[in-house]
Amino acid sequence: MAYSDKVLDHYNNPRNVGSLDKNSPSVGTGMVGAPECGDVMKLQIKVNDQSGVIEDAKFKTFGCGSAIASSSLATEWLKGKTVDEALAIKNTDIVNELSLPPVKIHCSVLAEDAIKAAISDYRTKQTKRVPAAQTVA
Amino acid sequence: MATSCWNCGAGVSARFCPACRALQPPPSDYFAIFDLPRRLVIDGKELEKRFYALSRQLHPDLFSRRGAREREYSLEATAVLNDAWRTLRNPVSRAMYVLKLEGFDIAEQGSKEVPPELLEEVFELNMALEEMKAGDDTVAPQLVEARQRFEDMRDEVDHSLGDEFAAWDTARNRDTLTAIRGLLNRRKYITNLIAQANEALANVSDRV
Repeated sequence: MAYSDKVLDHYNNPRNVGSLDKNSPSVGTGMVGAPECGDVMKLQIKVNDQSGVIEDAKFKTFGCGSAIASSSLATEWLKGKTVDEALAIKNTDIVNELSLPPVKIHCSVLAEDAIKAAISDYRTKQTKRVPAAQTVA
Repeated sequence: MATSCWNCGAGVSARFCPACRALQPPPSDYFAIFDLPRRLVIDGKELEKRFYALSRQLHPDLFSRRGAREREYSLEATAVLNDAWRTLRNPVSRAMYVLKLEGFDIAEQGSKEVPPELLEEVFELNMALEEMKAGDDTVAPQLVEARQRFEDMRDEVDHSLGDEFAAWDTARNRDTLTAIRGLLNRRKYITNLIAQANEALANVSDRV
Protein backbone atom coordinates (compact mmCIF):
# COMPACT_ATOMS: atom_id res chain seq x y z
CA MET A 1 0.00 0.00 0.00
CA ALA A 2 1.45 3.34 -0.99
CA TYR A 3 1.21 6.42 1.17
CA SER A 4 -0.22 9.55 -0.39
CA ASP A 5 2.13 12.49 -1.08
CA LYS A 6 0.57 14.44 1.75
CA VAL A 7 1.15 11.63 4.23
CA LEU A 8 4.75 11.36 3.06
CA ASP A 9 5.23 15.09 3.38
CA HIS A 10 3.97 15.12 6.98
CA TYR A 11 5.92 11.97 7.75
CA ASN A 12 9.19 13.34 6.38
CA ASN A 13 8.67 16.88 7.66
CA PRO A 14 6.38 16.54 10.65
CA ARG A 15 5.04 19.91 11.83
CA ASN A 16 5.04 20.93 15.46
CA VAL A 17 6.85 17.98 16.96
CA GLY A 18 7.65 18.57 20.59
CA SER A 19 6.00 19.20 23.89
CA LEU A 20 4.49 21.97 25.97
CA ASP A 21 4.54 22.34 29.73
CA LYS A 22 1.87 19.91 30.79
CA ASN A 23 1.62 21.50 34.23
CA SER A 24 0.64 24.89 32.83
CA PRO A 25 -3.06 25.69 33.33
CA SER A 26 -3.21 26.99 29.74
CA VAL A 27 -1.99 23.71 28.29
CA GLY A 28 -4.18 20.73 27.58
CA THR A 29 -2.59 17.31 27.04
CA GLY A 30 -4.14 14.39 25.25
CA MET A 31 -2.47 11.00 25.38
CA VAL A 32 -4.15 8.26 23.39
CA GLY A 33 -3.18 4.88 22.07
CA ALA A 34 -4.26 2.16 19.70
CA PRO A 35 -3.44 -1.18 21.29
CA GLU A 36 -4.19 -3.15 18.12
CA CYS A 37 -1.21 -1.53 16.39
CA GLY A 38 0.78 -0.43 19.43
CA ASP A 39 0.65 3.29 18.57
CA VAL A 40 0.92 6.05 21.16
CA MET A 41 0.06 9.66 20.40
CA LYS A 42 0.54 12.71 22.59
CA LEU A 43 -1.03 15.96 21.48
CA GLN A 44 -0.91 19.24 23.39
CA ILE A 45 -2.56 22.61 22.93
CA LYS A 46 -1.77 25.97 24.48
CA VAL A 47 -4.84 28.14 24.77
CA ASN A 48 -4.98 31.89 25.20
CA ASP A 49 -7.07 32.25 28.35
CA GLN A 50 -8.61 35.53 27.23
CA SER A 51 -9.57 34.76 23.65
CA GLY A 52 -9.94 30.99 23.93
CA VAL A 53 -7.81 30.69 20.79
CA ILE A 54 -5.29 27.88 20.46
CA GLU A 55 -1.93 29.63 20.19
CA ASP A 56 0.28 26.62 19.92
CA ALA A 57 -0.02 22.91 19.37
CA LYS A 58 2.59 20.18 19.63
CA PHE A 59 2.58 16.45 19.17
CA LYS A 60 4.75 13.40 19.49
CA THR A 61 3.57 10.14 17.98
CA PHE A 62 5.13 6.71 18.06
CA GLY A 63 3.43 4.80 15.31
CA CYS A 64 3.02 4.32 11.61
CA GLY A 65 3.34 7.03 8.97
CA SER A 66 -0.40 7.62 8.85
CA ALA A 67 -0.61 8.12 12.61
CA ILE A 68 2.28 10.59 12.49
CA ALA A 69 0.78 12.44 9.51
CA SER A 70 -2.68 12.55 11.12
CA SER A 71 -1.36 14.12 14.31
CA SER A 72 0.98 16.45 12.45
CA LEU A 73 -1.91 17.71 10.33
CA ALA A 74 -4.10 18.02 13.42
CA THR A 75 -1.62 20.36 15.12
CA GLU A 76 -1.48 22.51 11.97
CA TRP A 77 -5.25 22.80 11.91
CA LEU A 78 -5.54 23.48 15.63
CA LYS A 79 -3.40 26.59 15.65
CA GLY A 80 -5.51 29.73 15.40
CA LYS A 81 -8.78 27.93 16.09
CA THR A 82 -10.89 28.48 19.17
CA VAL A 83 -11.41 25.49 21.42
CA ASP A 84 -14.97 25.12 20.15
CA GLU A 85 -13.85 25.22 16.53
CA ALA A 86 -11.21 22.63 17.33
CA LEU A 87 -13.87 20.30 18.70
CA ALA A 88 -15.55 20.38 15.29
CA ILE A 89 -12.54 18.72 13.61
CA LYS A 90 -13.63 15.27 12.52
CA ASN A 91 -11.50 12.29 11.70
CA THR A 92 -13.13 12.23 8.27
CA ASP A 93 -11.64 15.68 7.57
CA ILE A 94 -8.22 14.17 8.21
CA VAL A 95 -9.00 11.10 6.08
CA ASN A 96 -9.99 13.33 3.16
CA GLU A 97 -7.06 15.70 3.46
CA LEU A 98 -4.50 12.88 3.65
CA SER A 99 -6.34 10.45 1.34
CA LEU A 100 -6.01 7.73 3.95
CA PRO A 101 -6.99 4.23 2.79
CA PRO A 102 -9.67 2.35 4.78
CA VAL A 103 -7.09 0.32 6.76
CA LYS A 104 -5.60 3.56 8.08
CA ILE A 105 -8.80 5.28 9.11
CA HIS A 106 -8.17 4.31 12.73
CA CYS A 107 -5.09 6.57 12.66
CA SER A 108 -7.32 9.57 11.97
CA VAL A 109 -9.69 8.42 14.72
CA LEU A 110 -6.72 8.38 17.06
CA ALA A 111 -5.87 11.97 16.09
CA GLU A 112 -9.47 13.09 16.69
CA ASP A 113 -9.43 11.31 20.06
CA ALA A 114 -6.17 13.08 20.92
CA ILE A 115 -7.67 16.50 20.09
CA LYS A 116 -10.73 15.77 22.23
CA ALA A 117 -8.56 14.45 25.08
CA ALA A 118 -6.35 17.56 24.98
CA ILE A 119 -9.35 19.88 25.03
CA SER A 120 -11.00 17.93 27.80
CA ASP A 121 -7.80 18.11 29.85
CA TYR A 122 -7.59 21.86 29.24
CA ARG A 123 -11.23 22.36 30.27
CA THR A 124 -10.79 20.27 33.40
CA LYS A 125 -7.89 22.51 34.38
CA GLN A 126 -9.98 25.62 33.66
CA THR A 127 -12.95 24.54 35.78
CA LYS A 128 -10.55 23.97 38.64
CA ARG A 129 -9.54 27.61 38.29
CA VAL A 130 -13.14 28.87 38.22
CA PRO A 131 -13.44 29.68 41.93
CA ALA A 132 -10.48 32.05 41.65
CA ALA A 133 -11.87 33.63 38.49
CA GLN A 134 -15.28 34.14 40.09
CA THR A 135 -13.88 36.06 43.04
CA VAL A 136 -12.32 38.45 40.53
CA ALA A 137 -15.67 38.94 38.78
CA MET B 1 -23.17 -30.60 16.45
CA ALA B 2 -26.09 -33.07 16.80
CA THR B 3 -27.96 -32.79 13.49
CA SER B 4 -28.97 -35.21 10.80
CA CYS B 5 -26.74 -36.47 8.02
CA TRP B 6 -27.08 -34.53 4.76
CA ASN B 7 -26.71 -37.81 2.88
CA CYS B 8 -28.80 -40.45 4.66
CA GLY B 9 -30.65 -38.47 7.32
CA ALA B 10 -29.32 -40.43 10.29
CA GLY B 11 -28.56 -38.57 13.50
CA VAL B 12 -24.98 -37.27 13.51
CA SER B 13 -22.87 -35.74 16.23
CA ALA B 14 -19.51 -36.55 14.69
CA ARG B 15 -17.33 -35.70 11.73
CA PHE B 16 -18.61 -38.69 9.75
CA CYS B 17 -22.12 -40.07 9.64
CA PRO B 18 -22.20 -43.26 11.75
CA ALA B 19 -24.69 -44.82 9.33
CA CYS B 20 -23.40 -44.03 5.83
CA ARG B 21 -19.86 -42.77 6.68
CA ALA B 22 -20.39 -39.55 4.70
CA LEU B 23 -18.23 -36.58 5.70
CA GLN B 24 -20.33 -33.92 7.41
CA PRO B 25 -19.97 -30.13 6.97
CA PRO B 26 -17.19 -28.83 9.23
CA PRO B 27 -17.93 -26.63 12.25
CA SER B 28 -16.67 -23.07 11.95
CA ASP B 29 -15.64 -22.94 15.62
CA TYR B 30 -11.91 -23.53 15.99
CA PHE B 31 -12.29 -25.46 19.22
CA ALA B 32 -15.10 -27.60 17.80
CA ILE B 33 -13.08 -28.71 14.78
CA PHE B 34 -10.47 -30.06 17.20
CA ASP B 35 -13.21 -31.61 19.40
CA LEU B 36 -11.89 -29.48 22.22
CA PRO B 37 -13.87 -27.53 24.82
CA ARG B 38 -13.50 -23.74 24.73
CA ARG B 39 -10.60 -23.41 27.12
CA LEU B 40 -7.71 -20.97 27.27
CA VAL B 41 -5.22 -23.42 28.67
CA ILE B 42 -4.34 -25.92 25.97
CA ASP B 43 -1.86 -28.77 25.91
CA GLY B 44 0.26 -27.87 22.89
CA LYS B 45 1.42 -31.45 22.31
CA GLU B 46 -2.13 -32.74 22.33
CA LEU B 47 -3.23 -29.99 19.94
CA GLU B 48 -0.42 -30.84 17.57
CA LYS B 49 -1.27 -34.53 17.69
CA ARG B 50 -4.89 -33.80 16.86
CA PHE B 51 -3.89 -31.42 14.10
CA TYR B 52 -1.82 -34.03 12.28
CA ALA B 53 -4.41 -36.77 12.82
CA LEU B 54 -7.24 -34.57 11.53
CA SER B 55 -5.16 -33.30 8.61
CA ARG B 56 -4.74 -36.88 7.49
CA GLN B 57 -8.37 -37.77 8.12
CA LEU B 58 -9.77 -34.77 6.26
CA HIS B 59 -7.22 -34.47 3.48
CA PRO B 60 -8.90 -33.61 0.12
CA ASP B 61 -6.91 -36.37 -1.63
CA LEU B 62 -8.87 -38.94 0.35
CA PHE B 63 -12.11 -37.58 -1.06
CA SER B 64 -11.13 -37.29 -4.71
CA ARG B 65 -13.37 -40.19 -5.67
CA ARG B 66 -16.28 -39.16 -3.45
CA GLY B 67 -19.22 -36.96 -4.42
CA ALA B 68 -18.93 -33.23 -5.04
CA ARG B 69 -20.42 -32.43 -1.68
CA GLU B 70 -17.93 -34.43 0.32
CA ARG B 71 -15.04 -33.08 -1.76
CA GLU B 72 -16.27 -29.59 -0.94
CA TYR B 73 -16.58 -30.39 2.79
CA SER B 74 -13.09 -31.83 2.94
CA LEU B 75 -11.68 -28.66 1.39
CA GLU B 76 -13.67 -26.50 3.79
CA ALA B 77 -12.70 -28.63 6.78
CA THR B 78 -9.04 -28.49 5.85
CA ALA B 79 -9.17 -24.71 5.55
CA VAL B 80 -10.90 -24.33 8.93
CA LEU B 81 -8.47 -26.80 10.48
CA ASN B 82 -5.43 -24.86 9.25
CA ASP B 83 -6.84 -21.54 10.50
CA ALA B 84 -7.79 -23.17 13.80
CA TRP B 85 -4.30 -24.63 14.20
CA ARG B 86 -2.59 -21.30 13.53
CA THR B 87 -4.94 -19.50 15.89
CA LEU B 88 -5.05 -21.94 18.80
CA ARG B 89 -1.41 -23.01 18.95
CA ASN B 90 -0.33 -19.48 19.89
CA PRO B 91 -1.57 -18.33 23.32
CA VAL B 92 -1.97 -14.70 22.24
CA SER B 93 -4.03 -15.39 19.12
CA ARG B 94 -5.94 -18.06 21.02
CA ALA B 95 -6.88 -15.57 23.73
CA MET B 96 -7.89 -12.99 21.12
CA TYR B 97 -10.07 -15.59 19.45
CA VAL B 98 -11.80 -16.50 22.71
CA LEU B 99 -12.31 -12.81 23.49
CA LYS B 100 -13.98 -12.41 20.11
CA LEU B 101 -16.19 -15.46 20.65
CA GLU B 102 -17.16 -14.07 24.03
CA GLY B 103 -18.13 -10.72 22.55
CA PHE B 104 -15.00 -8.67 23.24
CA ASP B 105 -13.76 -7.39 19.91
CA ILE B 106 -10.15 -6.45 20.43
CA ALA B 107 -9.70 -4.81 17.02
CA GLU B 108 -12.58 -2.40 17.45
CA GLN B 109 -11.93 -1.02 20.87
CA GLY B 110 -11.36 2.68 21.26
CA SER B 111 -8.37 4.27 22.87
CA LYS B 112 -10.43 5.02 25.96
CA GLU B 113 -10.03 1.45 27.07
CA VAL B 114 -6.28 1.76 27.48
CA PRO B 115 -5.32 2.81 31.00
CA PRO B 116 -3.63 6.25 30.95
CA GLU B 117 -0.75 5.02 33.14
CA LEU B 118 0.08 2.41 30.54
CA LEU B 119 0.12 5.03 27.78
CA GLU B 120 2.36 7.28 29.86
CA GLU B 121 4.73 4.42 30.53
CA VAL B 122 4.86 3.32 26.90
CA PHE B 123 5.36 6.91 25.80
CA GLU B 124 8.29 7.37 28.17
CA LEU B 125 9.84 4.07 27.09
CA ASN B 126 9.48 5.09 23.46
CA MET B 127 11.12 8.45 24.18
CA ALA B 128 14.06 6.76 25.88
CA LEU B 129 14.41 4.30 23.03
CA GLU B 130 14.32 7.07 20.47
CA GLU B 131 17.05 8.95 22.30
CA MET B 132 19.18 5.84 22.34
CA LYS B 133 18.57 5.28 18.64
CA ALA B 134 19.68 8.81 17.86
CA GLY B 135 22.89 8.33 19.82
CA ASP B 136 26.16 7.03 18.44
CA ASP B 137 27.18 3.38 18.37
CA THR B 138 28.21 3.44 22.00
CA VAL B 139 24.53 3.14 22.92
CA ALA B 140 24.48 -0.53 21.85
CA PRO B 141 24.91 -1.85 25.41
CA GLN B 142 22.11 0.46 26.57
CA LEU B 143 19.88 -0.85 23.80
CA VAL B 144 20.66 -4.43 24.72
CA GLU B 145 19.80 -3.62 28.31
CA ALA B 146 16.57 -1.91 27.28
CA ARG B 147 15.60 -4.87 25.14
CA GLN B 148 16.27 -7.19 28.06
CA ARG B 149 14.03 -5.04 30.25
CA PHE B 150 11.24 -5.15 27.66
CA GLU B 151 11.63 -8.91 27.32
CA ASP B 152 11.38 -9.29 31.07
CA MET B 153 8.22 -7.18 31.00
CA ARG B 154 6.80 -9.41 28.28
CA ASP B 155 7.63 -12.53 30.28
CA GLU B 156 5.84 -11.04 33.26
CA VAL B 157 2.78 -10.36 31.13
CA ASP B 158 2.90 -13.91 29.78
CA HIS B 159 3.09 -15.26 33.29
CA SER B 160 0.04 -13.22 34.32
CA LEU B 161 -1.77 -14.32 31.18
CA GLY B 162 -1.17 -17.94 32.16
CA ASP B 163 -2.75 -17.30 35.56
CA GLU B 164 -5.74 -15.53 34.05
CA PHE B 165 -6.21 -18.28 31.46
CA ALA B 166 -6.44 -20.87 34.21
CA ALA B 167 -8.79 -18.62 36.19
CA TRP B 168 -11.15 -18.22 33.23
CA ASP B 169 -11.19 -21.94 32.48
CA THR B 170 -12.34 -22.68 36.02
CA ALA B 171 -14.72 -19.82 36.79
CA ARG B 172 -15.75 -18.30 33.40
CA ASN B 173 -15.82 -14.86 34.91
CA ARG B 174 -16.15 -11.94 32.48
CA ASP B 175 -13.89 -9.79 34.63
CA THR B 176 -11.13 -12.26 33.89
CA LEU B 177 -11.61 -11.65 30.18
CA THR B 178 -11.39 -7.90 30.75
CA ALA B 179 -8.12 -8.46 32.61
CA ILE B 180 -6.86 -10.65 29.77
CA ARG B 181 -7.67 -7.97 27.23
CA GLY B 182 -5.74 -5.43 29.30
CA LEU B 183 -2.75 -7.77 29.43
CA LEU B 184 -2.91 -8.36 25.68
CA ASN B 185 -2.90 -4.60 25.07
CA ARG B 186 0.11 -4.21 27.30
CA ARG B 187 1.81 -7.12 25.58
CA LYS B 188 1.25 -5.57 22.16
CA TYR B 189 2.94 -2.34 23.23
CA ILE B 190 5.84 -4.22 24.77
CA THR B 191 6.43 -6.43 21.71
CA ASN B 192 6.46 -3.26 19.60
CA LEU B 193 9.17 -1.84 21.81
CA ILE B 194 11.19 -5.06 21.53
CA ALA B 195 10.90 -4.93 17.73
CA GLN B 196 12.10 -1.34 17.75
CA ALA B 197 15.02 -2.15 20.02
CA ASN B 198 15.97 -4.98 17.67
CA GLU B 199 15.72 -2.70 14.68
CA ALA B 200 17.90 -0.09 16.37
CA LEU B 201 20.45 -2.73 17.30
CA ALA B 202 20.54 -4.01 13.72
CA ASN B 203 21.30 -0.47 12.55
CA VAL B 204 24.03 -0.07 15.13
CA SER B 205 25.73 -3.30 14.07
CA ASP B 206 25.46 -2.25 10.42
CA ARG B 207 27.45 0.85 11.15
CA VAL B 208 30.15 -0.86 13.15
